[in-house]
Amino acid sequence: MALSLYIDRASPLHRRHPVAKLAAMILFFAATFLLDDPVPIAPLTVAVLVATAAAHAFPNLWRLRWIVGPVFVFTLAIWTLFYPAPAGGAAAGTAPWRFGLGMALKLETFLATGLLFLATTTVEEFAFALRSLGVPYRAGFVVTLAFRLVPVFLESALTVVDAQRCRGLDFTRGRVHQRIARYVPVIVPVFIGGLRRADRMAFALEVRGFSSGRRRTGLPRPAANAGDWLLVAVVGAAFVGYVTLWMLGTGRIVPR
Amino acid sequence: MDTIVPYERRPGRGMRELVDMWSNTRMVVLTAMCASLYAAVLIPFMVVPLIPGLTHFRPANALPIVCSFLFGPAAAWGAAFGNLIGDFFTGLGPGDLFGFVANFLYALVPYRLWRACTTADPLPRTLGAWFLLLGIITTASMLCAATVGFGLQLLGFVPFAVLANVVLVNNLVTSALLAPLLLAVLYPRVRRARLLYGDILGAAPRAPRWRRFAGVALVVTGTGLAFVLGNLASGGWLDPSTLAALSRNLRFVVLVLPALALGILGLALL
Repeated sequence: MALSLYIDRASPLHRRHPVAKLAAMILFFAATFLLDDPVPIAPLTVAVLVATAAAHAFPNLWRLRWIVGPVFVFTLAIWTLFYPAPAGGAAAGTAPWRFGLGMALKLETFLATGLLFLATTTVEEFAFALRSLGVPYRAGFVVTLAFRLVPVFLESALTVVDAQRCRGLDFTRGRVHQRIARYVPVIVPVFIGGLRRADRMAFALEVRGFSSGRRRTGLPRPAANAGDWLLVAVVGAAFVGYVTLWMLGTGRIVPR
Repeated sequence: MDTIVPYERRPGRGMRELVDMWSNTRMVVLTAMCASLYAAVLIPFMVVPLIPGLTHFRPANALPIVCSFLFGPAAAWGAAFGNLIGDFFTGLGPGDLFGFVANFLYALVPYRLWRACTTADPLPRTLGAWFLLLGIITTASMLCAATVGFGLQLLGFVPFAVLANVVLVNNLVTSALLAPLLLAVLYPRVRRARLLYGDILGAAPRAPRWRRFAGVALVVTGTGLAFVLGNLASGGWLDPSTLAALSRNLRFVVLVLPALALGILGLALL
């Protein structure tokens, strides 16, 4: 299993400043969230699909097809069933399934937007964007360090699984609770190995002055350019448009 | 210049240790370790969705409980970041904000409740310890389920009555089965290595009895109420006429948020 959704390409979206991409994603989420009629939501879905194609990020959607497909069917079914009929009136005509379709499109748009962001942004850029927005350095450090450690733990777990299988441990037999209990001899060695690693890492960070209190230095990053501002302006304009629709009371099947 | 003062336990309780721990390098590294371990066990099971795009079979859910008893506040942050990293593999979305908070609370509840109830090691050796441990796991699972269910119903992704119950069962089954087994094996080893959060941060003074009692009562009552009210409101079985003037989402917020806030207030007291 590949451990990153980042796709290394030279598209215009890849070149955008991480803070601009994060701001655009948040504005896009907010615009999608406001309405529930499928008609005004569909253009946003199309827009994110076009952007995905421009960023050569369709392989991510294909890779997660086991989520993307069922999400649509499940959301359509569940919200048609749980349709919140307005007080005083019964669910009329096509409203329940239109509402379900709107919710399904909305969720797919969220999913595609998140995948597009991850396809065009590395975890280091994400941590940098968080820090630029005021999240403390150490929180960003934890995100990047933990992200880097995931493959180490996965590899360690696979090694332990192989070793335990050699000793006769079978994960495919028995009742559910017996199978779950068999994960204990896998988790314990991985956990203890992780603790040793953490202890050594804490020492290594300390000797490199992690808590020295001195001013931290870093690689200089290019400032936001016209393209970054254009991206935020375009998505911002869409957001303002959707807020206007929301304030006018259009594009909603169920009043908030 | 942002100066980082080396860690020393400051007087006072509440949520202060959740901020103070960030100035201790070992706790920062343990946070990353908890996060990556949680994510590493979450990711392989993402191919078994329970509610497509929103939740999946999560045997990893026992880890925040175990790590909470071992590493305290580092586990709370670790569970929150670990869940976020797990979401990196299936796509980010606005619901992840509630996932972050829910997982944070999920790993915050166990050590705080246990510390308030007893000074004994969190090992299920007696019948009383088993009851307490299972009660704490149930409360933590329920608070996590209520928080994520509340958030995702508010965003309009999936009804509380569907998601919260699936999350509760998912958390409860894996944690109740795995956490006691893992704790029995791991706790003595981590204690010998002097890596328990009490060894790293120093022993916290015990809160007065009234405060512990009030905290535990608020956490349990608030959590239970939030879960029940969320289910009733989401299913349409609770729709007070006094709130008829409010919009649907606002009615849901008015009914569920105070109970959730009560639970979190209880945690702050412990």
